[in-house]
Amino acid sequence: MMFQGILIAFALFAVTRTLKQYRKQKVSLHWFLLWNSLWITVIGVALWPRSADIIAKFVGVERGADLAVYLAVVILAYLVFRLFVRQEQTEKEITKLVRKIAIEEVEK
Amino acid sequence: MITVALIPAYNEETRIADAIHDARRFVDLVVVVDDCSKDQTAERARSAGAIVLRHVINRGQGAALQTATEYALTVLKADIVVHFDADGQMDGSEIPSLIDPIVREEADVVLGSRFLGKQTNMPMTRLVANRLGRLFTSVFSGIHLTDTHNGFRALSRHAAQEITITLNRMAHASQILDLIKVKKLRYIERPVTIRYSQETLAKSPSSLRAFGIVKDILKDKFLTHV
Repeated sequence: MMFQGILIAFALFAVTRTLKQYRKQKVSLHWFLLWNSLWITVIGVALWPRSADIIAKFVGVERGADLAVYLAVVILAYLVFRLFVRQEQTEKEITKLVRKIAIEEVEK
Repeated sequence: MITVALIPAYNEETRIADAIHDARRFVDLVVVVDDCSKDQTAERARSAGAIVLRHVINRGQGAALQTATEYALTVLKADIVVHFDADGQMDGSEIPSLIDPIVREEADVVLGSRFLGKQTNMPMTRLVANRLGRLFTSVFSGIHLTDTHNGFRALSRHAAQEITITLNRMAHASQILDLIKVKKLRYIERPVTIRYSQETLAKSPSSLRAFGIVKDILKDKFLTHV
């Protein structure tokens, strides 16, 4: 029970945070919906742990908890990849900017 | 024909002036890109007669070289660019032999090689690392050379326009080779002498840093094009 409580509390915290970020227009609607549906699923599973077992059985995994761990790993790996690509892109943009400044400054 | 030497420099106040004087005897103009040095590199370079561009944030040697290239092509209308080092490892008197195949329109890119006849005092560990580099380059770029990570090169205007360096740090040397192959540029090697001193060895990439270069190349090949 204790663990469920913590999980729900954290998920609610995450939902409110995302909502706040969305209101400030720091995240897109697309991400807001995706992110919140993830946390709402977490809340759902925490309240009715049996539901995860049913879904797990349906996709061919023995236990609901296992399915949750598998999904978490996949989602995290994907997010890291996205961040990595974005980071690389940012690096290249910084270089372009630095180059433009360097060339413009010397022309003065 | 306008020949421009391109020198990326980072904290080279003690050696930059000599390198510029050395190169200037054999080219029309010298462009130095000061990659956000913390010392007097820019001032020394300017008083030695170079055109100095400054990166406001350190972006690495590859990025500095690309900045110098774009400036030389667009503003100076260079016909030939020569990649030269700031640390006095290269010998300016070898520039004419490097640009000669381009002048005679026999090649688009001329790559300096430390292993074509001339003697160098290259340390053993570097020799081994260089052999591995050759193998790596043959496999990944499909281009066969006697020396793969030599920074002494000459490029025709056409080649310099075709080769855009996007790898900021040291892996740009491999990227240049890749692009030579991809853009079907004519290349040739010419013997050059690289002088190794304790000072320059301490600064330029150690054999171990080759792993970092390999990592950057693999990252570029497998990840950033998705």
